[in-house]
Amino acid sequence: MNKDYILHKWLNNAATEAEIEVLKNSPEYASYIKIAETVSNLETPINSSEAIFDAMKPQLAKKTKVKKMNPLSSFLKVAAVLAIVVTAYTYINSLNTSVQTNIAEKHTFLLPDNSEVALNANSSLEYNKNSWNEKRELTLKGEAYFKVTKGNSFKVKTPSGVITVLGTQFNVFARDNSLQVNCYEGLVSVEFNDTLIKLPAGTKLSLKNGVLANHQQFNKTSPTWIVSESSFDNASLQTVLNELGNQYPITITADIRNVNRRFTGSFTHKNLNLALKSICDPLQLTYSIRDESVSIYAKEGQ
Amino acid sequence: MKHNNDICRESKFSEVYQNFNKEIWRFIYYKCGSEAQADDLVQDAFIKLWQNCAKVPLNKAKSFLYTVANNAFLNEVAHKKVVLNYVKSRPDRVNSESPQFVLEEKEFQKKIQDALANLSEAQRTAFLLNRIEGKKYTEIAELLNISVKAVEKRMSQALSSLRKEIGKV
Repeated sequence: MNKDYILHKWLNNAATEAEIEVLKNSPEYASYIKIAETVSNLETPINSSEAIFDAMKPQLAKKTKVKKMNPLSSFLKVAAVLAIVVTAYTYINSLNTSVQTNIAEKHTFLLPDNSEVALNANSSLEYNKNSWNEKRELTLKGEAYFKVTKGNSFKVKTPSGVITVLGTQFNVFARDNSLQVNCYEGLVSVEFNDTLIKLPAGTKLSLKNGVLANHQQFNKTSPTWIVSESSFDNASLQTVLNELGNQYPITITADIRNVNRRFTGSFTHKNLNLALKSICDPLQLTYSIRDESVSIYAKEGQ
Repeated sequence: MKHNNDICRESKFSEVYQNFNKEIWRFIYYKCGSEAQADDLVQDAFIKLWQNCAKVPLNKAKSFLYTVANNAFLNEVAHKKVVLNYVKSRPDRVNSESPQFVLEEKEFQKKIQDALANLSEAQRTAFLLNRIEGKKYTEIAELLNISVKAVEKRMSQALSSLRKEIGKV
């Protein structure tokens, strides 16, 4: 029998006693057996399996983390951030833009369609930047001068009425229940209560408490307040003094028996003394200034 | 499919580790003779198994580990000179023998250890898997991805070169 075959059989623990005898009778194969048996009795060092496992742990943990990650969650995070941004953006966009001036402050600016607005002192104006191209509409409290570029209808809403125009220059004065519209160029329509009045260039219109007070012609190319002057035509003294209070940071006390005096003329926005003089002199009044308060009373002997 | 994912459970993975880590470690140790390298390669092999836990069925884990460890060993750039250290011989049969026999036996073991270090990596691995691990040729063939005939050849070569080496000394 082939000794190699038996040897392999023995190495696989499958040889019979007789076969082992055959091998041991041959010096060559006997030494093979001795070597093989000796090697079998060798023992390898023992590895510290715990230490290796512990060393592995950080990397196993890393993997666990990755595994547990929900692929949707990162998508949801991005989506949530996007949703917030988009919502905030649309919300902010839908807000009205508002422009305000304080006492003694004037502000000239452009609307999104390049229409020019000059806002007089102590006034506020509100419009929506977003829908401006579809709907040129703004709300005004106070006084403003508009140079409207040509386009679709341009509306100015005031507490007393709505002014609609198609490319023109006009002044709107809307304070204390009164409305005064001066049209300098083009055509302006003023709508109040159920009435609609068309104002051609060079005409003005005054409303007091929703009632037509004045509708007549004038000849100026732009309102005087644009050049720092307020002018009045047969206005009540109260209106004049209110406007004075808008242009100067003062409190006015008027001790006048007849408040219904009418005033025609103008006062400057640059010099309080001069302004007071231009109001008081024609009306035979006198005034005194203490700090920020002004008293106006009738001249002695009157 | 659920069965395939078993290894991904930490308890199962730990069980697989307990079952195979010593075996794999020794397998690498036979190849390289370095405990530190064996530690590293075993660690790498099990990390690979963890990373691929979803793809490796439980019954393929062992051969996966052998293959990965073997590939990792072959990829190691520096193949150092192999110095195998065997802590001690099994004392079982030695007790009944005479002191002189014990001494001779020890000397013989020392010679064999040196001779083993001089075997080729392929021969030594096959030989020690058979001798120390007690694996049958068919198992070795499967683990090393070679034929049974090749295992036989490696065993014969290992034995004959060991004999030559010992006779020479």
